[in-house]
Amino acid sequence: MKKKIIWGLVIVVVLGVVNIWYYVFQYSKTHHRDVANEVAMLVTSTQLVKDFQSNEKVANAKYLNKAIEVKGELLQEEKDQSGNITLTLKSGDPFSNIFCTLKPGLPLPVKGSIVVVKGVCTGFLSDVVLNNAIVVKPVE
Amino acid sequence: MKKVILSLIVLSGICFQLHAQKIYSTKTGQIKFNASSPLEKVAAVNDQVDSKMVDKTGQIVFSVLIKSFKFENQLMEDHFNENYMESSKFPKAEFRGYITNVTTVNFAKDGKYPVSFDGTLNIHGVQQKVTTTGVIAIEGGKPSISGSFKVKVKDYGITGSYIGSKIADEAEISVNCKYE
Repeated sequence: MKKKIIWGLVIVVVLGVVNIWYYVFQYSKTHHRDVANEVAMLVTSTQLVKDFQSNEKVANAKYLNKAIEVKGELLQEEKDQSGNITLTLKSGDPFSNIFCTLKPGLPLPVKGSIVVVKGVCTGFLSDVVLNNAIVVKPVE
Repeated sequence: MKKVILSLIVLSGICFQLHAQKIYSTKTGQIKFNASSPLEKVAAVNDQVDSKMVDKTGQIVFSVLIKSFKFENQLMEDHFNENYMESSKFPKAEFRGYITNVTTVNFAKDGKYPVSFDGTLNIHGVQQKVTTTGVIAIEGGKPSISGSFKVKVKDYGITGSYIGSKIADEAEISVNCKYE
């Protein structure tokens, strides 16, 4: 009887260790945050830049690390040094736009169209920056 | 009248000076972070580096958002943000300074020029003086900067619970920015 309990405990511990190992080193390597599955706040590019310009601290508390959907006019489409596609959305202020880096392997919106980009807000430099983004819809 | 002419001359002089210097910039510079220890690979890439540089004065700024660092392992990225960098409290890191020997760089001529940097690095809300070296490469009239330096994690008040055992106490920061 005692033996059975000990064996049972050993199995539980081993399974636990294997599970933790799997979660830390395997699952976390292959499963990254995906905004496609997240509920996002909807905001226009103009409003987003205004919020950050008027009070960055408050805006950080509101947007930082959250999934947001930004609607705006596409200004520029480029590639960064790692080959990721980046989109810049107009905000109305020529010195401060929305800068989004897309996830790899996505179809491109047409230049000049109004688009909705969903991504994780990482903060404000000269632009408001979105990372891991996807294009929700190019609206005509 | 004389005063007007004089001020016009001074003004045109200032304008000429402004015209003579060029500001290079990028929003897609790359900074890599490596704090691996023999036990664990702790490395990340940030492709959203904002940087500006003035050719005449050598003035240079790099700004990064901590949350823009991408790790291979999502859990590691979360720990990096929450436990070490506290990126909700300190979302940015910044280097402001000068290329001290910028006069040796000929921005009009393709080639590689060794340069020295001197400035202030602000990480995790702590400022430290930093001097380091790097290379400016001019290719087709466009400059790019590469270089790397080490920072002691403790100098910036970063005291995550695992420090000392799992991650290296020195992190290597490598910069690679192509300017327009």
